Amino acid sequence: MKSRVSLTSFTLAAVLAATAVSASGAHAAEPVKGGTLIYLEQQTHTNLYPPAGGFYPNGGILNQITDKLTYQNPKTLEVEPWIAESWQVNADATEYTFKLRSGVTFSDGSPLDAAAVARNFDVFGLGDKALKYPVSEVVNNYDRSEVVDPQTVKFYFKKPSPGFLQGTSVIGSGLVSLKTLTLPFETLGDATKIVGSGPFVVESETLGKELNLKAREDYAWGPAKLEHQGRAYIDGISYIVTGEDSVRIGALLAGQADLIRQIQAYDEPQVESQDFRIYAASTRGVNNSIVFRPDNPLVADVKVRKALSLATNTKEIVSTLFSANYPVATSILASSAIGYADETAKLGFDAEKAKALLDEAGYKPGADGIREKDGRKLVLTAYESLPQPQNRATLQLVAQQWGKVGVTLNVLAGDAGSRTVDDLDPLKTPVSPAMVGRADPDVLKSQYYPKNRDVLRQKGGPSDKVQSFVDPKLNGILETIATEPNREKRLKAAAEAQAYVLDQAYAIPIFEEPQVYASAPYVNGLAFEAVGRPSFYSVWLDK
Amino acid sequence: MTSFDILDRRSVPASAASAATPSTAARFRVWRGISPSLVLAWLVLATVLLWAMAPGLFTVYNPVEGVPGGQLKAPSAAHLLGTDSLGRDLFSRIVHGSVHSLTGALAAVGVGLLAGTTIGILAGSVGGWIDDLLMRLVDVLLSIPTLLLSLSIIILLGFGTFNSAIAVGATAIAGFSRLTRSEVVRVRRSDYVEAAFGSGGSFVKVLWRHILPNSLTSVFAFTALQFGWALLQISTLGFLGYGAPPPTPEWGLLIAEGRNYLATAWWLTAAPGLIVVIVVLSANRISQSFGRAGS
Amino acid sequence: MLKFVIARIGQAVLVLWAAFTLSFVLLQAMPGDAVLIKFLNPEYGLSPEQIAEIRADYAVDGSLFAQYAASLGNVLTGDFGYSVRAGVPVSAQLAVNLPATLTLASLGFATAVILAALLAFLSSFSAGSRLRDLIQSIPALFISIPVFWLGIMLIQIFSFRLKLVPVIHPGPWESLILPVLTLAVPISAPLAQILIRNLDEIETRSFVSVARAKGASRGRVLFRHVARNAVLPVLTIAGVLFGELLAGAVVTETVFGLSGIGSLTERAVSYQDLAVLQAVVIVSAAIFVAINLIVDLAYPFLDPRLKPRAGA
Repeated sequence: MKSRVSLTSFTLAAVLAATAVSASGAHAAEPVKGGTLIYLEQQTHTNLYPPAGGFYPNGGILNQITDKLTYQNPKTLEVEPWIAESWQVNADATEYTFKLRSGVTFSDGSPLDAAAVARNFDVFGLGDKALKYPVSEVVNNYDRSEVVDPQTVKFYFKKPSPGFLQGTSVIGSGLVSLKTLTLPFETLGDATKIVGSGPFVVESETLGKELNLKAREDYAWGPAKLEHQGRAYIDGISYIVTGEDSVRIGALLAGQADLIRQIQAYDEPQVESQDFRIYAASTRGVNNSIVFRPDNPLVADVKVRKALSLATNTKEIVSTLFSANYPVATSILASSAIGYADETAKLGFDAEKAKALLDEAGYKPGADGIREKDGRKLVLTAYESLPQPQNRATLQLVAQQWGKVGVTLNVLAGDAGSRTVDDLDPLKTPVSPAMVGRADPDVLKSQYYPKNRDVLRQKGGPSDKVQSFVDPKLNGILETIATEPNREKRLKAAAEAQAYVLDQAYAIPIFEEPQVYASAPYVNGLAFEAVGRPSFYSVWLDK
Repeated sequence: MTSFDILDRRSVPASAASAATPSTAARFRVWRGISPSLVLAWLVLATVLLWAMAPGLFTVYNPVEGVPGGQLKAPSAAHLLGTDSLGRDLFSRIVHGSVHSLTGALAAVGVGLLAGTTIGILAGSVGGWIDDLLMRLVDVLLSIPTLLLSLSIIILLGFGTFNSAIAVGATAIAGFSRLTRSEVVRVRRSDYVEAAFGSGGSFVKVLWRHILPNSLTSVFAFTALQFGWALLQISTLGFLGYGAPPPTPEWGLLIAEGRNYLATAWWLTAAPGLIVVIVVLSANRISQSFGRAGS
Repeated sequence: MLKFVIARIGQAVLVLWAAFTLSFVLLQAMPGDAVLIKFLNPEYGLSPEQIAEIRADYAVDGSLFAQYAASLGNVLTGDFGYSVRAGVPVSAQLAVNLPATLTLASLGFATAVILAALLAFLSSFSAGSRLRDLIQSIPALFISIPVFWLGIMLIQIFSFRLKLVPVIHPGPWESLILPVLTLAVPISAPLAQILIRNLDEIETRSFVSVARAKGASRGRVLFRHVARNAVLPVLTIAGVLFGELLAGAVVTETVFGLSGIGSLTERAVSYQDLAVLQAVVIVSAAIFVAINLIVDLAYPFLDPRLKPRAGA
């Protein structure tokens, strides 16, 4: 029944994943029903089209109101049955057949059957031009669907798509009713229009401020292997958008809220000293990194990039700004990610070696201490990334470290418009912070491939400002990761990609980025999906 | 004549209000010139000016480079106001930041003064349809929410101390032009100006010799007041994330960055906030004294 | 008189149109646009072709004049379009946010007036004493406090340390106490200064001496005349203060996490949500113009002197 590509036995990932915090087992007491969870979210949600669930505020909502075909166990990373009772995959991963659980309905009463699943993935895999639906990032090489019978659906792919099974378990593959998928894309910002089959339904929404969910009484189709079955324990969830860090933490400690997202490392001791709980859910993806845009002549030379990597003291960054929940990076990928390979040997801090390399590359210190070559000063620019924890402080510290070897890094705040436009131009942003979470090696392709996020800004990507930079070798490895049906070969390609990116010093991984939440002591049963979005299905309040 | 003419008065509350009817006690003090609060205000401004010109005299710490490991220290003898998340001395950042905040506010007032008085003098002295046109233009400036206007200008010009000064200055134009116009109109209608025109003085000559000198006193008081206001506005922009880019120690940015640490290190927010309050208060106090002297 | 009224209304409409046009030009000149900002977000994982298609759908690449004409036409027919960022009609956002901000602003204004009157009375009653100097310097202090800083400090002290007023899920009135206070403090300063000046003027007028000679208490005389004398400056100042109320609301709403036109504007600017910003400009300009129009038209009836006294 399980296919060969299901990602079951990757022991290292499993062991490390088990160390990540998930449902609290501290209280052996019987779960109590009732109560409303007050959850403070940092940002407003933007669009609740399921593939847009990568954005944390969106994902935090979608994860409660939609179900997925499969469930990726956050502890073992194994893909388990949920709406799909079983599945079969052919040898080259081009055909997937899912047998669906019966009796599942959307909250508007319509059945969640093969036709609904087929329509969902047709949209996710191909998009819909008329309704302006974009293609999902996690569905590669999609061709078409086939409704075999009301409980069986089959998907065909143009090329092998080994990541698809895991892809059906992610937040971006939440199943919504047929009626929801008839609404134009731009209207899906209204949460009340999203009809899913999940344990909660949207009750009311105050735009940009508050969203109320209530438990669905007849919910009876949670992930099969989960201990908790049936209706959610709590009666509802109140999401309140609270942008100010200090207000979120203050409100939690003052007893005005039950759970908050994004607590910064410096607030952790205070939270813990008052017996509140901290959850640092690993995002199991590409580490919080600084990437270069080699199309910019200043960082085109691998020696310069290597020198900057050596000049970056990641241990100092983590010990100054972060906590034990933010492990120092040892590769491009987080150590809990699938396909992780330890690359410690290629990383490290050595300011003297950095200076030597810069000398070698022809950048000599000028009168003001800043290195220059042929009259061009080594002055680089980066925009801070707002969603990343303490990114402004991180970049300032990096700037300080680079300053010691004679390189200037300007950190810009910038408005969203300038940031978006400048970020496409390697000449304006030779350096950029980057990270992405997803528990599948495909995440490497998501991050680096020109047709995906294209963090290195290659020619042929979304940017038309790139002059010439393209790395066919890297792209070749990434394509292998996305299409190689053989699991061993796929993981080997992932390791190869990590080694290659570091050999070329395209990226400086800094730390493994968690999603950090804090809750009041009486919040029990909080769980997180594989990349750190909360699930409130099993939460109960012991107050 | 619209009611706007007296509206302008409200923007010069301290100066105009007390200029109109200074209390006897206050008048005495101004004449004797030893108001302790005024002396204090000048002292504050002088100190901050010194900070701006020679920060090295007041602090030995580097304002932009921190000491890793020395972050988030509470105030002590070594660090008067503690250190921030990167281990930078807060007092040093405030001292070094004064130059950014002060020049920013000065530039903003300069922009407002230059553009505003030009419009105001033109409208007030030429009159007729040009007056109407210019004043409606000023209405347009006033009717667009100020913050929206300044944020848009900053996005257009890019982030930086000087650009946010221009953005704040643009929103000050309306106030300056209304005040200047009403002053010019007032002086123009006075007997001696009528007489100057009557005795054959050319327009420009009368404007230069009679109207301008007599209308600009309250404009100057207004300028000093606007300085404090501009300082507040620039801080507000810094707070909203539209000010000088880090690691510039601009005061608004200090408050904005410090506020994340309120739960653990409240002084990071409280100290720069108090500095802003004290400096603005001093500027307003000095503006008030100008207003009195001018009356 | 009728001619004056028609001319003023005509000018008001002109101002509205000019505000719309100016803001359109400003916003168009910004780098990038809402569609780009939203869909270039790597979370969507869109290809360049898909982005180009979406852009074509939203018609953000059309000629400037065509966009201007379409935008103006929509506004004239009362259609504010769709918020690209939030994915909902702008009118829906206004329906939620406008009443919230109007409540905050009017309560803030009312509180400011009360605060100002209180200060003016106190100052008047303490004439000649040291206390008076202290009271008269309070407005100067109020106007020197950064609004955002005041808000942050009030939350920390009253909500989190003293736990007096919750900021999360407060009751309808509790939720407004701190924001209204934050907003009222700077607004009350100019009002208080004008009122103090007016009361001082009244003191020196002959009718006060007459009334007092007739045996009326000083408090009673002041109270009888303050109402009439307070209405005029408050009214005239209302138009200009509206702008400051709105600017204050942006900051207050951001700090307190309230929904309203202010926080809507701030978000819309940073994401360049053009439709939202145009609507905000139109609505606030309309309110501003209306207030000033009413003040202008009402002024002659309220002030028999017609031409206001110049202050200096």
